[in-house]
This record gives sequence, C-alpha cells and structure tokens, in this order.
Amino acid sequence: MEMGALIVAAGGDAGSALHGSGLWTPAWPVLGKTVLQRWIERVQGLGVGLVSVVDRNPQEPNRIHTMVEWAKEGVEQVLLIALGSYAEIDLPDLIRFHSAGQRKVTQVFDQQGPLGISLLDRGCMLANQEPASQDSDLPSSRYDFLGYAVRLSSTGKYRQLVEDALEGRCGIHLTGSQTQPRVWIDDTAQVDASATIEAPCYIGPGTRIKAGAALRGCSSVERNCEIDLGTTLDHTSIQPNTYVAPGLYFRESVVDGTRLEHLARGVTVDLGTVGLSARIGTQARHAHRSPKLAHGPGLSRRDAIKEEEHCP
Amino acid sequence: MTSTQPMTVRRLPEPGDRASRRSFLREIKGFVDSSHRPRLILDLSAIVQMSPESIDLLLECVGHAEHGDGEVSVAGASPQTSVILEITQAASVLNMFPSVLEAAIGRQAHALEFWKPGYTDDRAA
Repeated sequence: MEMGALIVAAGGDAGSALHGSGLWTPAWPVLGKTVLQRWIERVQGLGVGLVSVVDRNPQEPNRIHTMVEWAKEGVEQVLLIALGSYAEIDLPDLIRFHSAGQRKVTQVFDQQGPLGISLLDRGCMLANQEPASQDSDLPSSRYDFLGYAVRLSSTGKYRQLVEDALEGRCGIHLTGSQTQPRVWIDDTAQVDASATIEAPCYIGPGTRIKAGAALRGCSSVERNCEIDLGTTLDHTSIQPNTYVAPGLYFRESVVDGTRLEHLARGVTVDLGTVGLSARIGTQARHAHRSPKLAHGPGLSRRDAIKEEEHCP
Repeated sequence: MTSTQPMTVRRLPEPGDRASRRSFLREIKGFVDSSHRPRLILDLSAIVQMSPESIDLLLECVGHAEHGDGEVSVAGASPQTSVILEITQAASVLNMFPSVLEAAIGRQAHALEFWKPGYTDDRAA
C-alpha cells in the first residue's frame, strides 16, 4: 500500500519568529537537526518515499491539493503532520491501529489534546476535493499517545526539549563524539583545553569554544558558533552562526545572532547594539567590544583582540 | 546608636558625551573623597538599554566607591538593562533596587541591621 506524508510547516518565512512566542522559530535546530528534519527522517524510516512539506497558510489550500493529487495517483494513505510539536509516536503502531479501525481518519491525541497528527484514507482525501466539503466533519477515530511529546510554541518549550534530549528523557539521538558521558562534541568543533565542559551538553559542527569558556546545565551550542574567552553558558542554548563576546555570563537564555531571550526574566534583548554578540558572517568579529568587566581576570582587551585576529 | 552613611543620587550622563562623563566622574570622586563609607545611588530609570560606555562608567563608579569603603546601588533599571548588567556580570558588584526610593530605604534597612534590640524573642513569651 502506497503512503504519502504531508508535513505542514509554519506559514511565511520559516526563519522568522512566530507571533507571541518570543524568539522561538521552527528554524532553530534541536541539537543538530530541526524538528522538521527529525520528522522527515522518521517518516522516511517507515519507507515512505512520498514526502512533501507545505506552508501553513490558510489562504493557499496547498495541503488539500497535494492530498487530492496523491489520491488520484493511487496513494492509499496520507500521514498529515501539522508541525507544532515534537512527539515520539510509534508510527507503525499508528498505521496498524488505523488499518484495524473502520474510520477514514485517525487523529493522534495525548493527555493535553490533539497533537496535529492524522492518518487519512484515500476515500477521505477524494471526498475533500470539493471546496464546499473541505471542512466536512468526517467521523474519525482517536489514537491515544502516552509517550514523549512537547508542543513547541515558545522558547521555553524549545529549551525543555533540548534539556530532555540531553538528559536522555526522550529518544533524540545526538550526533558527534561523546568525549565524556553525556557530552557530545562534533568532530569538527574546536574546544580549547582550558574550557570547562560539564555534562550534559552539546557542541555542534564547526563551533569554537575558546580558552576559559564554560558550558554547564544542559547548555547547547549549535553549528558554526564561537564562544569567546571566559564566557559561561548555564542552561543556555546558542543558535547557529552566533558569536558571543568574551567574559560574559548567560543563564536560562537562548541567543540567536544578536538577539537574546532571557527565560527567567521573560525579556528579549538586542545584544548587537551593546556589542555582546553578533551573527557570524554578517559583521567583523573584532568590531565588537565588551565592557571592561567582561574581560576575564588577567585578560586585557588587547589580548582579546589578539585572539580574535586569529579567528579563521 | 546608628551610623548614617552619606548618600547621593545621580543619573548617568548620555553615552558619547565625554565632557559630561569627565564632569560626572570628577563629582563622584569628590563625593567619595569627602565622605566616610559613601553610598552612591545611580538612577537608571531613563535608560532603555545600556551602552558599553555606560557599563564602563558604572564600573568606574564602583572602583571609586570601593576606594572610600563605600558602595554603589543602581535603581530603576529596565528589564533589558537588568539583563545586560547580569550578562556582563556588572550586577555582581552592584546592589540593584526597583526604584530610587527603595534604594534609599534599602540603605536605611541596611543601617538598622547594626542595631539589635536589647531583648530576645523569649521576652514576649
């Protein structure tokens, strides 16, 4: 039986923050891969070759058209995933459950309600091709999921997923070498010998952790970042291509380029104007300046600049 | 007997205004030099977000105050300013208060800590 998978991503620019969710955007990787990439991998792991990703834009009924076209071409079932959560659903079990039932639609629920994941039969898709019947209330069966799920609606939920993955509370498998238990460092990352890395934490590809820096409390640094001299990350995630200035202390925060969201204080701050962080590739690193106290003990600004000049 | 610390409340000069900055630091130094254990309250309520120059200036004030065995408090910092002070670790050498009034009261409460009642709790029992 041929199956297709339709993943409905966030509308508009996938790289922009969602309204009312702080800085959170689905474009943020969770320890190396975005949630979308993880869903695609799981669906492809089922042997589903027909996978399509469409925008969640109510003005453009892409998903209906795609599903109808697939149904006309002979696709028997479609797995519809509205990308708002990370859920470790046993997809083969869901398919068995749906096939054993008499309904054309199976919706997945957890204890908080629907997870935005449905399995639809061909007949249902063809029935929905008429615009007037798009919202028809087809009888559906309910698949109750009791496993791990997080609704990714905010930066706080993103951090929860990162911490759960690092603590082994969910099934996310991390890439990179485990240099010590629960410390994952990509083979292409450079970590200075004097840096303090406390488990669990993650350091992504191409990232540089410079002398005296410290990572602790389930901190993560995604790909192509630079954590400058003596800076400490505590319960903090750094998004790809971010430079962080020397001698700083971050806790319970997510930094994405020049923007920071402080979860404990519920505040979003622009660090670019104060020269404390930057987007790598868009601005010269040595143009950034941090306050006097930001330089670690015995470290002068000249030393910091000298170090920066050696950046690749 | 309680001791009172000399106290002054000031606003930081605009970043980039070197003349005002020099004048400000001269006044702070003069205040510290002429006082015993001075207390400096810096009103940050007009600052939306700190500039690097302002953070440096705050730290210079801390340095001057320490010479006179005094202390520096900041008052009325916006949530964004508070985050910047935390990240740069300036908050670790400053006393932070929501408002100037609370900073001043905080000082009095601090002074009262030196005074202990002449009786203990079991007196009321």
